[in-house]
Parts: sequence; C-alpha cells; structure tokens
Amino acid sequence: MTIWTPTDDGHADLTDHDTFTNGAPHNTFARLRRDDPMHWTEWDGGKGFWSVTRHADILELNRQSDLLSSAQGIRIEDQSQEEYMARRTFQETDPPEHMSTRVKVAKAFSKQVISGFEDDIRSLCVDILDSALQAGTFDATKMIARELPMRMLGRILGTPEEDLPWLVDKGDALMANTDPDFTDHVMDKLETDEYRLMPFNSPAGAELYKYADTLMERKAAAGDTSGILHMIRQPGPDGKCINEREFKNFFCLLVAAGNDTTRYSLAAGMHALCHQPELLGQIKEGSVLDTAPDEIIRWASPASYFRRTATRDFDMHGNTIKAGDKVAYWFISGNRDETAFDDPFRVDLARTPNKHLSFGQGGPHVCLGMWLARLEVRILFQELAKRIKSIEPAGEAKFLRSNFVSGIKNLPVTVQLT
Amino acid sequence: MNVTWTLPDGSTKTAMVAEGTNLMEAAVANNIPNVVGECGGCLSCATCHIIVDPDWAAKVGDVGDFEDAMLDATEAERGDSSRLSCQITMSLDLDGIKLIVPVPE
Repeated sequence: MTIWTPTDDGHADLTDHDTFTNGAPHNTFARLRRDDPMHWTEWDGGKGFWSVTRHADILELNRQSDLLSSAQGIRIEDQSQEEYMARRTFQETDPPEHMSTRVKVAKAFSKQVISGFEDDIRSLCVDILDSALQAGTFDATKMIARELPMRMLGRILGTPEEDLPWLVDKGDALMANTDPDFTDHVMDKLETDEYRLMPFNSPAGAELYKYADTLMERKAAAGDTSGILHMIRQPGPDGKCINEREFKNFFCLLVAAGNDTTRYSLAAGMHALCHQPELLGQIKEGSVLDTAPDEIIRWASPASYFRRTATRDFDMHGNTIKAGDKVAYWFISGNRDETAFDDPFRVDLARTPNKHLSFGQGGPHVCLGMWLARLEVRILFQELAKRIKSIEPAGEAKFLRSNFVSGIKNLPVTVQLT
Repeated sequence: MNVTWTLPDGSTKTAMVAEGTNLMEAAVANNIPNVVGECGGCLSCATCHIIVDPDWAAKVGDVGDFEDAMLDATEAERGDSSRLSCQITMSLDLDGIKLIVPVPE
C-alpha cells in the first residue's frame, strides 16, 4: 500500500508555501532531478535562486563551505547585512567561526552523552503514550509527536515543566512562520517588517528573548552553571565568546529546531504505520530497531531545504552559478532520489546503508541534535509498538504550510490496544 | 600507498589509498565499520574517530584545537593517539600506516 501519493503536476512553484499544504511536490522534484538538476527559479518575493535536487550533488556541494557559504542567510528569503547580523546563529556562520561555537556544545550532544538520556526518554514515552492511547481516536501529532521533543527540550534547557507549552507555541510561531495555524504574523501574507531584526521575522522572537533573559537571571541567582545554555557562553578553543544577541538567537534556535523536526519525524513515522501495516509487526519483532530511526527520519525529511550563497562563480550541469547567487539544497528531494535509494517512496525499516540527508549530512552544519532525534524516534516507536495491535487513519492528514519545514501538523488516528 | 585498519573483531583490512585522500574518506570507501563521517570531513561530528598505531602517531601531525575539542565528543573513549581521521591526509610518509578502529563500550 502507498503511504501517500504526491499530487503536484510536476511544475509546482517551490516558493509558494501553499504548494506544500498537500505534502511536498515530489513529482516536481522527480522532474528536476531527471531533467534540470541545477534549476533556476525566478521569484517575486526577492532575488531568484538555484535548486539542487540530486542526492549526489547535494553531498558534493554541501561540504564545500568555502564555495557555498551559510553566512548570508540559510532560507530563500533575502536578508540585509543588518538583518543577518541581528538574527544570526552559528547555523549562519562558516568554518572556522562555526566550529568555534559548535565545539562548546558538541560533547553535550554527542552519541555517548545523549545515550545517557535513554531511561529519561523511555519514561517520558510511557507517560505520553499511556495518556494518549486511551483515547482510542486522537490527533497523533498533537498528543504524541509534539509532546516528546517538547518535554525533552525542557530537560535539556533546564526550564520549568509548566513553561514548556508556551515555549513550544513560540518555537512553532518561529519555525512555522508561514502557517496561519501557528502564527498571527504569516510571513508572506502580512507586513512583518517591524520584526525584521527578530528571529524568523517574528514577534515570538522578542518574547523568547525576554524569556531567555529571565531564565538566565534565575539560573544565575540559583548559582546554576550546568547545561548547554551555560556551555555555549564559555570561550571556545580560540578564546572567542558569542555575544548576547547570538546567545539569545541560539536559545531561539534550540526552542524552534529542537522541537518541530523530531515532532514531524515521529508524525511521519506514525503516518507510515497507518498505511504500511507490516511496519508495526516489524517494530514489534525488534530486528529493525537499529535501522528504523534513520529510515523514519529519511521518510520525514523535516528540513526541506537549506540555502547557501555562492562565494565565487562555478559551473554545474551546464549552468554558471555566479558569486552572490543563492543555492538551495533540497534535502527532501535528495531523500527520494531513485539513484541513491531503492524504492525511495516506500518505507523500508531495515534499509542499510541509509545515506539520507535529513540531518544535512556531508557538511559542517550536520544536525547537532541528530543523536537525540534518533534516540527519541527509536524509543517512541518501540514503546508504541508494545502497546498497540493496529493504527489506522481516522481522517485526513494535514500538512504544514511551509516550503522550509515539512510535516504533518494534524494526524487523526485510531488505535487498538494490545 | 596502503592503509591497514584493525577492525573491532580483531581482523585487519588493508586497502590502497591515493595520495591526498583523507583517511575518513578512505575508510568509508572501504566499508570500515564504525567510521561514518556524518559531516563529510568538516570537523563537525566526531564520527570518524580512529586510533593511530602508536608507532605511527608521530608521523600524522599534531591535533588542532578544534579537533582536540571534538575528540571529547567521540562515541568510543578517547585514547592517547586518537584522531578524527578526516583530519589526516594520505601522503608518502604515511604509506603503510596502521589504524585501529575504536570500539564503543
């Protein structure tokens, strides 16, 4: 059975967020991979940009941060230098500056340290599932997928439990700033110029800045110097510190990116279970537990693309990319590339090797939280499979209105308990 | 030029590696287990951790500051001659180098 069939006509407008409300336009990506692998898009909303859609090309370009820089913005939208400086995090820097910040928290997010959270994650999963599953029919994104990363984030940031729903609402307002379900300030519909120096052009950024101040004051008063919010402010191996603005942007990044990507991986996995019923049995049986997380995360591809900017002219596939041109790596397309994956539109929980690109593999900005994401996905599905006999759709799955974040925002399901 | 890896099961594997290739890429190309290279050799992930045979340790050059910091983020415990293999480039001096694949606990 097919999990989901793309409905676009093969010529979808990649700049139109409405395109993505039916799920990603995979017929368009398939055509671009085949016929136009370095595709130019003219855009009313700003300067045009190139799209890289083949798996091999993304890998080839992603490691060349000297040629394709992150330091002029990482979304398709143009930024002035003033906006860039005000909103940047280490995601928007290149090596070696990027490394200077990243190494401060690399250990805290390492596989070894993250594996120490296994018991914590399992106990959260048990709580979340026991409460959600008893309803029988419910929205699996809201009741399960949203809950786990949100509560783990609280543990990592050291924030009070009761603040978490507010924090996640604000994180959603940032990341899903093009979906009216998540923000009143829909970026491409309303004038958001007032907030142009805030993360994601969003008033939620200002609120999160204020929250970060209060949180750090509270931690300082309590003499609390634990955790990554402390680590990130220490000098790096080169003696450099991030400034106050960069710290607050880092906080916003954690709240936003630490939440919705894993949420939408969990949602995509449960959606797959609904439509490929054999998957549940495979997870129950246990042999695919090591490989299932990466396949679910490949399938989900929550970060649809990241953008770079060419630092000098180069040629590719018969096109000349000029210095200053924007280039988008469509990871979501690379993850469905027929030349990199057998039967890419099918979820194969035993897929090995699985060279998916959901974490931005092959480049300096590879996801800092990838081990945490994999662990959360593994344990959630393991615990879910123990508790249910079946999971079926109970209505239409609704996709986020965003070309940047790909996710099922509403996933009505009916489960039968074991 | 040759590189020899001691694998987690105690066996060894030797492969030809061209000059200029970094030893993470060489390991991935030869399907050496536990050497992944998630970041493509950009010093961002610590998944290409390798232990250089002590007899060869002096020849591979010094550990840089950022590499030193990232070596604290490896999955298997760091040893005296631990390196991130993406930071070692194959050269004539390294022909015959012996590497040990670390085993996480």
